[in-house]
Amino acid sequence: MEKNDEIKDVDRGWLNGAAKTITFIVTKDCQLACKYCYLVGKNENERMTLETAKKAVDYILDNRSFFKEESVIWEFIGGEPFLEIELIENICDYIKIEMFRRNHPWFNSYRFNFSTNGINYHTSKVQNFIKKNWYHLSLGITIDGTKRKHDLNRIWKTKEMEMGFQPKPEDERGSYDDVVRNIPLWLSQFPKAATKVTISSADIPYIKESVLHLYSLGIHEVNINVVYEKVWKEGDDVVFENQLVQLADEIIDNGYYQDFACSFFSETIGKPMDIHSDNRNWCGAGRMLSIDAHGNFYPCTRFAQYSLRSKKARTIGNIGNGIDLNKVRPFIVLDRILQSPQECIDCEVASGCGWCQGENYDAADTPTAYQRATAICKMHKARVRANNYYWNKLYRKLEHEGVAREKAVKHVKSESSNTINC
Amino acid sequence: MLQYLIIQLDDTSTSYCHYYNGKRNRNLISIDTLKSGIMFGMKENLMIQYILPDYELPDEYYEVLESIDHSKIASSGSPYASVADVVVLNGWNKDYAFDIEGVYVLRVDKRTLFEKTSEILKVLKECARLNIVITDVEKFSDADFETYKSVLDSFSKELEALYVAGKTPQLNLLTDRMMLDGMNNCNAGSDSITLAPDGRFYVCPAFYLAPDDEDYGLGKSKVSVGSLASGLDIKNPQLYRLSHAPLCRNCDAYQCKRCVWLNRKTTYEVNTPSHEQCVVAHLERNASRALLMDIRKHGTFLPEKEDIKEISYLDPFDVRKEW
Ligand code: SF4
Ligand code: SF4
Repeated sequence: MEKNDEIKDVDRGWLNGAAKTITFIVTKDCQLACKYCYLVGKNENERMTLETAKKAVDYILDNRSFFKEESVIWEFIGGEPFLEIELIENICDYIKIEMFRRNHPWFNSYRFNFSTNGINYHTSKVQNFIKKNWYHLSLGITIDGTKRKHDLNRIWKTKEMEMGFQPKPEDERGSYDDVVRNIPLWLSQFPKAATKVTISSADIPYIKESVLHLYSLGIHEVNINVVYEKVWKEGDDVVFENQLVQLADEIIDNGYYQDFACSFFSETIGKPMDIHSDNRNWCGAGRMLSIDAHGNFYPCTRFAQYSLRSKKARTIGNIGNGIDLNKVRPFIVLDRILQSPQECIDCEVASGCGWCQGENYDAADTPTAYQRATAICKMHKARVRANNYYWNKLYRKLEHEGVAREKAVKHVKSESSNTINC
Repeated sequence: MLQYLIIQLDDTSTSYCHYYNGKRNRNLISIDTLKSGIMFGMKENLMIQYILPDYELPDEYYEVLESIDHSKIASSGSPYASVADVVVLNGWNKDYAFDIEGVYVLRVDKRTLFEKTSEILKVLKECARLNIVITDVEKFSDADFETYKSVLDSFSKELEALYVAGKTPQLNLLTDRMMLDGMNNCNAGSDSITLAPDGRFYVCPAFYLAPDDEDYGLGKSKVSVGSLASGLDIKNPQLYRLSHAPLCRNCDAYQCKRCVWLNRKTTYEVNTPSHEQCVVAHLERNASRALLMDIRKHGTFLPEKEDIKEISYLDPFDVRKEW
């Protein structure tokens, strides 16, 4: 096969997202105070105990009828999960022992998932854990791009900040240097690893340089999202579109599309969606399970109190009483049309425009998960225009290089227009 | 489309439905609020339903009430019971004297219903219509479902005998589904709205009568949806409509109340019912099916109605993929 007919696509997740995801919120603490962080209620006090985690594991493994999936992803998040590496190691040991002891089918099909800020990645405790569990690990380090882009948002937390005082811009200390030094080690252990980049209003001018910088660090897959919150200013969509067009030029002119993927560009976005056949919910809230330090269950971490600005935490049970199936029902029956305003239903470029169920709930006029937040509308439309430019330019290039269009597109998987990126 | 305006005349006016009214202090709607409410109803072309208190209203109120076509709901202990269109019995009272032409709501908990079935079913031949409201539907267990099934069987046998004898009493749990061709739910928030003594609108009286500190998990249960002064303002109004109820819109338990207040309490979403509400409604639906077939064995009955089809589930949630 000629090299130049390859177009790298983003990974669709382990087993194409079919596994059950169970998330332990092991701590609500973090060394950083990222400006876009949705975790409005982070704190140093709420740390999960091993006892709570064990009870949760027991409940989950004992109730196969609620957790019928063939495979499982045990996910650990924070705050910063590696602040609690010893606890995590103990929980993982317990999970493995209990899955084995109970002859649970998940013993043969499980992963441990982490999304870390990368600061403690090199420490011996983290490294020992990685060596011990490497075969079952997925591990992402969040790095936002170039130093100036990363340091714009991902700054160290200070004592003053904990007391509610915001530092002056000149006093802010970025975390880029503390993260980037661990990237080579990470990539040597996880060569196919992806990073997750979050774009808020102030980040837009740095998108192109940031994605290219991440490629230059050797990261082949950049999963990049604009935030769903209402943060967008007048004109942001224009700058965003320009950035993506410039990024498209760089990726295509330099042939990066063969080995590198950026989730902003996807063949499946920007199309009208059928109200019947394309009616699935965007995210997996309710099909996943999150557990906090108190042993409360949530449909997704975004429904825990520390993630919510204006609504009350929405639990679906706890380790004592188990899952309250009535509380899960709304999430299971929720579809795209039910929660979308007419404008979204009629939208000509609807595919790929997503939402976060938790943000929907947080931003809704009533305490409901059934009201879609549409703050990203203009940004999605800008993305679609740049995306169209990308594919038109790329196909033309491939045609000029003698690659038939059909052959060029065959590498782009398109089973789903709902690329879940939350 | 909004069709009914329910006016809760006093805080102590009886519950006629699933919710509990724990208010003991009288708080009568002001005469001006009442007049404005009636005016609102007239301008919006709404049918008015008054929920009367258990005490005599001042004369000037009665005049205002009578200034518009309406229906009256009152408890069996109210001085207005004799003129009410619907009389509410809070709990079972075997000595109550029913009126053969009367329409009654009997509010009972499951235990009373199960224990007093043989007494309650005798009421069917003593009134025109009986609406049984089970006040703790959300607490049904699997064993309760079984018991309820046999309770419905007992009511069915009684009804069958009465229909064969040429009588046509109505029991909401069994005869409504036989007569209906489409959903006939409570539709609070979409077809009806409640005006409370505080001059505010509520989806139904339950959302007004909830104690100030009541919170089923997502915040205050007492939530108004506008006022006479500022107008009706239902946020997310689509969620009260059948079109936006993902389970109910595909359901054929047409007699089900589809109680949005219970939905909010049990699943947190006004448009999503609990397992218990669905199973109870389906036991009724299936019992109605059997009753219809049994009555037809005796001769022609409701010839224009098709048979109610046999289904294999009791909770539409369990077959959601089959749609
Ligand atoms: S039985 Fe359930 S799904 Fe059917 S109308 Fe009643 S509440 Fe809705
Ligand atoms: S929502 Fe309707 S069925 Fe439910 S308590 Fe209120 S009036 Fe009754």
